[in-house]
Amino acid sequence: MWFFHVKPLDIMRELKSGLFFFSLSLLVLWESLRVELGTLMEPGSGFLPFCVGLVLFALSLVLIHRGWGIREFQKPHSRRVILALASLFVYSLLLEPLGFVVATFFLVGVLFHLGQPRRWWLLIGMSAVVTFLAYLVFGVLLHVYFPRGFLGI
Amino acid sequence: MGTLVGILPGLGPAATISLLLPMIFHTSAVSSIIMLAGICYGAQYGGSTTSILLNIPGEASSVITCLDGHQMAKQGRAGPALGMAAFGSFIAGTLGIVGLMLFAPTLAKFALRFGPPEFFSLALMSLTLVTYVSKGSLIQSLVMACVGLVMSTVGMDPITSRARFTFGLTSLLDGFELVYVAMGFFGLSEVLSNLGHAFKQEILDSKIRNLLPTRQDWKDSAKPIARGTVLGFLLGILPGFGQAITTFVSYAVEKRFSKHPEQFGTGRIEGVAGPEAANNAASSGTFIPLLSLGIPVNPSTAILIGALLILGLQPGPLLISSRPDLFWGVVASMYIGNVMLVMLNLPLIGLWVQMLKVPYSLLYVLIVLLCQIGAYSVNNNVTDVLLINIFGLAGYLMKRYEFEGAPLILGLVLGPMLESSLRRALMMSDGSPMIFIARPLSAAFLIVAVFFLISPLFTRGRIGKAAIESKDD
Repeated sequence: MWFFHVKPLDIMRELKSGLFFFSLSLLVLWESLRVELGTLMEPGSGFLPFCVGLVLFALSLVLIHRGWGIREFQKPHSRRVILALASLFVYSLLLEPLGFVVATFFLVGVLFHLGQPRRWWLLIGMSAVVTFLAYLVFGVLLHVYFPRGFLGI
Repeated sequence: MGTLVGILPGLGPAATISLLLPMIFHTSAVSSIIMLAGICYGAQYGGSTTSILLNIPGEASSVITCLDGHQMAKQGRAGPALGMAAFGSFIAGTLGIVGLMLFAPTLAKFALRFGPPEFFSLALMSLTLVTYVSKGSLIQSLVMACVGLVMSTVGMDPITSRARFTFGLTSLLDGFELVYVAMGFFGLSEVLSNLGHAFKQEILDSKIRNLLPTRQDWKDSAKPIARGTVLGFLLGILPGFGQAITTFVSYAVEKRFSKHPEQFGTGRIEGVAGPEAANNAASSGTFIPLLSLGIPVNPSTAILIGALLILGLQPGPLLISSRPDLFWGVVASMYIGNVMLVMLNLPLIGLWVQMLKVPYSLLYVLIVLLCQIGAYSVNNNVTDVLLINIFGLAGYLMKRYEFEGAPLILGLVLGPMLESSLRRALMMSDGSPMIFIARPLSAAFLIVAVFFLISPLFTRGRIGKAAIESKDD
C-alpha cells in the first residue's frame, strides 16, 4: 500500500510522532466536545475542530501502525542545535532582568562559539560589535524600546 | 534582498519574508507588500547563480538548473548560462506579470459569485493540493494540514465569541499570530536545522566573461523559454505546485521536445532556459489566487496573506476593487523589479558570488538575532520572544521528523475561511451537506480534492514527492 512505503530509518520516529499526534487528537476531540459541537443546522465552536480531530486521530493511528514493531537507530540530535536552542530559551527568560544589551551580548557570544570555536577575545569583540550594531539599528534608528534590565542599559 | 536570498543556500523566501514581517508595522501597506513580493520573485533570479557556478542550488526551484548550468560552467560557458538564465527569467517574469494583470481582476470578478460552499470547497481543494505535492509521506503532510487547521481555531470563535483551546491562558485568546508561527517554523527552524550540519563552502574564483548568449544560444532557447513561461504560469496558479515542481516539469518537457535528449545533463542551454523561465513565470502565477481569491498556494504566499491581514486588509475577491492601489502597485513594482533584477544581477554577479564567502557561522547568528529582535519588536513584549523560540523548537523537530511545514502554514491561514464558510454553508442549507455537491463549482473543487487524495492509492507516487526527492539524491 502507498502509505506503508517509507524509508526504514523513519520508522522509529514515525511511532514516536504517531503517539504524539494521537495524544494531540484526543486533546482536540476533548476540547471540541467541551466547547460545544452544535448541530449540522447550526454548527458550534467545536464543529470544525472535532472533524479535524477525528481525521487527525485516524491519521495518527496509521502512523502508529506504520511505525509499530520496528526498531531502528536514528541520528542523535546535534549538540550544537541543543545548545543553541537552550541559549535561546535562556535568552528569552533573561532578556527582561538583564536588559537587551547584556543578554544579547552573551547570546551572540554563545552562538558565535557554537558556530565556530574562536579565541575568547575575538568572541568578545564580535559579540560587542554585533550587539552595538543591533542596538544602533533597532534601538536608535527604528525606536524599538528594548528592556533595560537591572543595570539600566 | 530577493536575489541575496536566492543566492544564499539555507535561507529561503518563506523564511526571509517571515523574518521581515515585523518591519511591515513601520511601513505603508502597499510598500510592505511590494517589499515582500519582491523577495518572492527576486529569489528566483538569484537561485540560478549558485546552481550554475557552484552546483549548489540557492533555492529548491534552481535545483534542476545545476544539471546543465553547472556543466556549461565547467565547459567555460558560465557566462552564457548565467545570461540566458537571467534573460529567460526576465522574459518569463514580464510575461507572467502581463498574465497576472489580465487574469487576476477577471478571476476576482468571477469569484464574486462564490458563496460559502464554493469558498469551503476551494479552501479544501487548495489544502489537499498542497499536501499532495508536499515532499515526504502524504499521511504526514495531511497530519500537518490538520495541525494547521486546529491551530487556526485557537482563540475566540469569531461567530460565538467562545474561547477555544486557550486552556485558561488569556494570551491565547487572540489565537496564534502568523508572524510568530512563520518566524519560528520557517526562519528559526531553518537556521537550527542547518546548524546541525557541517558548514561547507566551496567558492569558485574564476572570472566570468561573455554574459551575452550567442545567436545560436538564443535560437536554442527561444522555444524552451516560451514553453517554460506558459507551463510555469499555469502551474504557478495551482495550489501547491509553486516554483520548484514547475522547473522539474519544464525540464522533462524540454527533454521530450529536444532532438538530442541524451545530451541533457551535459550542458544544454535548453536545460537552463526552460526551467529558469518556468520558475519566474510561476512566481507571477502564484500572485493570481493570492490577490484575486485570497488563496495562498505556497508558504511564501501564505505568509503574504498573513501580512495582508496584519495590515488590516481582507484578502479575497474584493481586495482588487477595494484596494486598487495595492494591486496595481504590486503589478507596477513587479515590472520595475524584473528590469532592476536583470540590470543588477548580471553586472553584479561577482559581488553575489563574494556574498557566498560570508561564513555561515556568522550569518546564522545574525539571522537568529534578527528573529529574536523581530519577535520582540512586534509588541515590545518579552513573552513573544519565548513564543517564537517555542515555535522554532517545534519547527526544528518537525523538520527532523520529516514533517512538512507548508501544509501547516496553509492550514493555519486557510483555517478561518474554511471554518466560517463551512458553518455558513451548513446554516444556509439547513444542515444538509449536499449543498457542497449540489452547486457545480463547489462539486468540481471537491472532485479535484478527492481525486488528489485518493490518486496515490492507484499511482503509488506523487508528482511533488518524486520531483523533490530527486533533488535530494
